[in-house]
Amino acid sequence: MRIRVKPSRRRPDRITLNLASMIDVTFLLLIYFLVTTVLAKQEDRLSPTLQTESESASGELSDFQPQIVKVMNIDGAPGYQLGPNVFRTKEDLARTLGGLPKTAGVFIHVHNDLPVGFAVAAIQAARDAGFDQVTYVPAK
Amino acid sequence: MKFGGIRNREKVLIVDITPMIDVVFLLIIFFMVAAQFARTTRAEMDLPLEPGEQEQQAEEAGLVINVLADGSIIVNEQTLDLDQLEAMVRDEVQNVHGGDAKLVKLLIRSDRNNDTSRLNQILNRLETLGVGAARLATEVPR
Repeated sequence: MRIRVKPSRRRPDRITLNLASMIDVTFLLLIYFLVTTVLAKQEDRLSPTLQTESESASGELSDFQPQIVKVMNIDGAPGYQLGPNVFRTKEDLARTLGGLPKTAGVFIHVHNDLPVGFAVAAIQAARDAGFDQVTYVPAK
Repeated sequence: MKFGGIRNREKVLIVDITPMIDVVFLLIIFFMVAAQFARTTRAEMDLPLEPGEQEQQAEEAGLVINVLADGSIIVNEQTLDLDQLEAMVRDEVQNVHGGDAKLVKLLIRSDRNNDTSRLNQILNRLETLGVGAARLATEVPR
């Protein structure tokens, strides 16, 4: 008796890998980091040299005298004084400083009782105007 | 008659994902610890909104002095008064820079709403120690 055996259809070997749990974990981690992340603020710095009031007053006289910007309360509001001129904004100060000689640098004389942001803006204005040598003179 | 020769058994491939889970958890721990360290040196505050010097080269921060809006001084999570700050900077100058105060690197992070009186007090103290320059941190406007 002949029995014809059909040729077996061998299915190719299937690899089963259950990824469901890994995807669960991945999404949970993604959600966790999205919720907990605080967008980092980008920071930079300004690097003025330091000098005390007494040193800046008793400095040796030279051919070039530094520009002196006073950051102080003027008529009850913070302002920048450069010679006889008074400026209320950083932009106005930078514009005027831009037209002055840069060789001797600039002294930023910061009085007390002002917002720090306003004083730092004066240093920034000097940098923007092209001064490489900026000196911070803190009030006593 | 023998028909038992061919067995269509499905081959099951076992992938051991245990090491991957280990690595994932190690990465999580690493990032959590690193974030914690970053938080300890830089206190949360509103820095002056200025673009700064915009130099490409990253510079070493050195000693980071945080001055909060209420005037309190925080260095390495410790609240200090002016005398303690002066002592800390003096130690830094002596122990790390061999007494040369010009070499000490300081980054002052002061809240923009803070009063200049406090910043001036700090800078006057630093100047008396011989520190020739201070770096003031700014927040780059978006």
